Amino acid sequence: MTAPAAGAECPPRRYAHTSVQLFRFSAVSWNAHRIHYDAAFAASEGFPDTVVQSTLHGETLSRNALEWAGPGARLESVAWRNVATAVAGEQLTWAATVSSVEGARVRLDARILKADGSECVTGTVEVTLAG
Amino acid sequence: MTAPVVSSPALEEVLARAGELIDRWRDEDCGTPTVKDFCRYAAALNDGEYIRRARALEADGRPVEAPALFLAATMSWEDGPPEDELRPDGLARRESPCTEGLPVRQVHGGQSVRLVRPPVAGARITATRAVVSARHKHGRSGEFVLLGVRTRFLSPDGSELTAVDETIVVLDATGGDR
Repeated sequence: MTAPAAGAECPPRRYAHTSVQLFRFSAVSWNAHRIHYDAAFAASEGFPDTVVQSTLHGETLSRNALEWAGPGARLESVAWRNVATAVAGEQLTWAATVSSVEGARVRLDARILKADGSECVTGTVEVTLAG
Repeated sequence: MTAPVVSSPALEEVLARAGELIDRWRDEDCGTPTVKDFCRYAAALNDGEYIRRARALEADGRPVEAPALFLAATMSWEDGPPEDELRPDGLARRESPCTEGLPVRQVHGGQSVRLVRPPVAGARITATRAVVSARHKHGRSGEFVLLGVRTRFLSPDGSELTAVDETIVVLDATGGDR
């Protein structure tokens, strides 16, 4: 990739998590919270379907950043805040802006947006580009 | 008469318990993760490329590094508990600090993860964890408590692999008012 500059927008990526993925991610991360795999229980807590795990949002923020950064890029840190709940099957968009560049280290302001454009997750991702 | 700062008895109890736990660090043995553990995690993320690369490295006898957020995303390293020891919402006691037996529900507020050195398959990992903060807040949906939990994952020589700060949002499940 060409050297990024502060202020540059990363191409957005659209995706949705399936209920199967939420179940498998709960299983592999030993997360037994029922809101993530039991739709009836999730409904009892006011959610329209099973809820996307916070850590799965963290994975999405960082994996899309690494993919944008290109082969050999390394994740240094990721931080995020859950603003709104997302559920299985919901159309989401990863979006990010380069906030700073120091040598090979690039910091992104990253967001996960809902279909109406409102924020679901906000955060920052720091990656080091391959030499 | 002045209204109490915390109107929910359950949240008041959460704050009291948190006050007792703050900065009391507890160690946990995370065991020795295997290439299979890493690959299953990657499979749940539909990351077939990681699996192909990890298995090729393993076949060559080379070290296999974990997916970057493997440690941060794993909620527990215990063998159990059995189902009848889980809370009604499915969470285990350790995953719900300060809230056992209280009419509250909790959701993740977010995390901050700093990656220092990737864990490698076959190397033992320990975690040291503590509640580091408890704050009472009022928001659009009412009052809640923000619990801050810090976890540091360490290699056998004591060097840090990953540091995680997470925020747990605890809400009164009954409506809350006295």
